[in-house]
Amino acid sequence: MMDVGRHPRIKLLAYSEIEHVSGFIGNFNVKVRKKARYVDENDCTACGDCVVDCPVIVPDEYQQGLSSRKAIYIQLPQAVPSAYLIDMDHCLGNNPIACGKCQEACEKKCINFDMEDEILELEVGTIIVATGNEVYDPTELDEFGYRSFENVITSMEFERLICAGGPTEGHFVRPTDHQRPIRIGFIQCVGSRSDNRGNPYCSNICCMNTIKDTLLLNDHYPDTESKVFYIDIRAFGKGFEDMFKRSKEAGVKYIRGIPGDVWEDPVTKNIFLAVEDTTSGKVEVHELDLVVLSVGLEPRKDMKHLQQLLTLSSTADGFLLESHPKLKPVDAPTRGIFYAGCVEAPKDVKESVTQASAAAARASIILNAGKVQIEAITAQINTDECNYCGLCAKVCPYHAITAADRKLGIYPEVIQAACAGCGTCGAECPTDAITMRHFTDFQIMAQVDSILDKDNMDKVVAFACNWCSYAGGDLCGTSRLQYPTNVRLIRTMCSGRVDEKFVIHAFKKGAPLVLVSGCHFADCHYINAVTWTQKRVEKLWNKLERLGIRPERLQLEWISAAEGQKFARVMRELEEMRKKVTPEEVAETIKILEREEAKALEKKAGKAKKAEEALQTA
Amino acid sequence: MAERGKFKCLRCGHEYEDKYTPGVPQERACPKCGSNSVRRIEEKK
Amino acid sequence: MYGEELRIGVFVCDCGLNIAGTVDCKAVAEYSETLDDVVAVIRNKYTCADPGQNEIKKAIIEHKLNRVVVASCTPKIHEPTFRQCVADAGLNPYLYEMANIREHCSWVHQNEKAKATEKAKELVKSAVARARFLEPQIEAEVPVTKAALVIGGGVAGIQSALDLADAGHQVYLVEKEPSIGGIMAALDKTYPTMDCSI
Ligand code: SF4
Ligand code: SF4
Ligand code: SF4
Ligand SMILES: [Zn+2]
Repeated sequence: MMDVGRHPRIKLLAYSEIEHVSGFIGNFNVKVRKKARYVDENDCTACGDCVVDCPVIVPDEYQQGLSSRKAIYIQLPQAVPSAYLIDMDHCLGNNPIACGKCQEACEKKCINFDMEDEILELEVGTIIVATGNEVYDPTELDEFGYRSFENVITSMEFERLICAGGPTEGHFVRPTDHQRPIRIGFIQCVGSRSDNRGNPYCSNICCMNTIKDTLLLNDHYPDTESKVFYIDIRAFGKGFEDMFKRSKEAGVKYIRGIPGDVWEDPVTKNIFLAVEDTTSGKVEVHELDLVVLSVGLEPRKDMKHLQQLLTLSSTADGFLLESHPKLKPVDAPTRGIFYAGCVEAPKDVKESVTQASAAAARASIILNAGKVQIEAITAQINTDECNYCGLCAKVCPYHAITAADRKLGIYPEVIQAACAGCGTCGAECPTDAITMRHFTDFQIMAQVDSILDKDNMDKVVAFACNWCSYAGGDLCGTSRLQYPTNVRLIRTMCSGRVDEKFVIHAFKKGAPLVLVSGCHFADCHYINAVTWTQKRVEKLWNKLERLGIRPERLQLEWISAAEGQKFARVMRELEEMRKKVTPEEVAETIKILEREEAKALEKKAGKAKKAEEALQTA
Repeated sequence: MAERGKFKCLRCGHEYEDKYTPGVPQERACPKCGSNSVRRIEEKK
Repeated sequence: MYGEELRIGVFVCDCGLNIAGTVDCKAVAEYSETLDDVVAVIRNKYTCADPGQNEIKKAIIEHKLNRVVVASCTPKIHEPTFRQCVADAGLNPYLYEMANIREHCSWVHQNEKAKATEKAKELVKSAVARARFLEPQIEAEVPVTKAALVIGGGVAGIQSALDLADAGHQVYLVEKEPSIGGIMAALDKTYPTMDCSI
């Protein structure tokens, strides 16, 4: 920790939050809010004089609320940066009548009540996300009596109680009578591996953490009698089995079974557990002085926000989705962003450090290269076709298109470095003046034709965005979820690329059913391009209805990269819908659309003629 | 401003009422089958 | 490249039994030969492995291919591999197209072998149809800002920041709390070495 504070090439921005991120690999632009500490970080020597006079006392989060701190405080004794700060939610204020005592106490005069939040703008080439996890709060599991019985604590509270820097200075005592507990029970998998409450996954670290705790106790207080209640013990890492063995040799009892009932002796405040030992099948009751709930890990609740800023998706468990679970486990699907630590999944210190070094190495590759190739999938405007309508500039989520001006004859222009290639402009442009490189109209229409030129009645034409729906289909494959063979996917970078005319063309070619699918709104990889998809599909539904075509034949679905199950379900449902479309209905649709096309052509010809006439008379 | 409107699921046919903000596209899911193919329908006059 | 005669090569991958276990790859390869503009079809056990890639490179030169279609897994895994491969043989990497007959076919239709084979054929047909309209593209190169942002100052963030800084890069470490340290700083001793955490 100290090394970070001292390193000449690390700029530490503590007490700061990410406000905004824009840009792309190699060129991210990040806005950071550095919150006011009201204490000058550089001048404060952490002498602590200020604390003495502060009259406000609040529970200390760092000590798990087991002790208290003042309104001016330092988070932990070894804090980096080593500086105090004022918790303005609790401070009485510097008005001399109100308080301002700390300001008087500080000899170096580093307390400044007028300090304001600072907004910093950073330019970086790569980003490593290492925001960690939260610890499960077992309050909802009332069968364990956490919060009703004082002598039931969590493993996090246990850490603080046994720590020399903790609220009890390492004297290990239980909450009720401040006596040292002798009989200690550990309950495993609290908030983990449960389909009903808490989380379904194994939190990975709690078994080993408990084994460590039993060894620690045995070390400090050899007369401790520890009992561990478990489903099964997962001690799979290097040296772990050995620790497990040592713990058993030290006399720790391992009982296979999770207590069903927990109660407290009202006088002694001892805790009783009723548990079925599943190896012997007998129900036993254990009297204990202290019970430790071995709580699992969870994704941070504030992660959603950051996820949106960085357009990252999460897997079903709520942790962040990696680019590939096996081959690119530290890469985010968005290029230039990497993961380290528990944001990606619960892991222990060693694994976190390993992954952190891996992420640093991956990031170094980009930084060392000094340049990156941008995929050639950007938009290009053919000014011969453009009629200055300005729609493209309006819909571009990246503001990558400059404004058009009919009067001045200024055509819109795509800023290539800013264009992310979503294709929304290409889909919106009424005159087809925009070419999406590598996802051209020709290419996509050719795919539609190829799907429908044989056995059209058996096909479902599905447009799937690269990041979510197509990837959801991939996950379906990796998980071997089976679905009917009739659907044909056409990959686009974003569902925003799906032009109205692609859908109409598919119907004209005899498609019984068309699906447009993309990312959930919160997952959209192109800021908000997906909202244009929604608008366009709604417009299409209206148009189909007006023409006398059932809008049901155009389906819309948001499927994330983690929703393999949903992908398979949708495919099955679409197959059922497809079967209900009759050849007569499709023939009728084709007739309607051909008539429409003929009408449009006539209109166009008429207009051209008029224009020509106008030109001649002029 | 949120208004109330009628919606129809184009997958299962379920019709229901819900809040919506005119002009602001929103992610919708049918409360019955979960499909996102939900369309706002005009009140039949 | 417009106006030039199309010469498409199709490479059908068995992926061991991953594809060939469900899809009749031989039939897919034979069908591919009947498609317009396809001048070479090669079947491989593992197209992504070196021998498979060498076959592609060889065929590009031998048959003067100007479009390459690989029918194998998802582009999410091997599109970069094969783009590099065709580029090595002197073809513009954007003249390459992929048909996903594994994740989107063999793995999800394991009990319908005949239908899966038909679908695989059509996926190749569709990829070939798209390939006809592919155009060479030049990738833009952009400079990289030589700095990294690490979000989160727990044990993982600290390690990443130190590694990057030691490697000579400028690092910004942003932490929400007043001090770095994260959950690790609240732990007493950590397994397996049982030493102090900070
Ligand atoms: S590590 Fe052990 S205690 Fe934690 S969830 Fe997994 S099995 Fe349960
Ligand atoms: S493709 Fe998307 S990002 Fe690029 S200019 Fe068009 S709308 Fe903007
Ligand atoms: S949408 Fe098309 S026609 Fe309108 S300004 Fe943009 S390029 Fe021109
Ligand atoms: Zn429904």
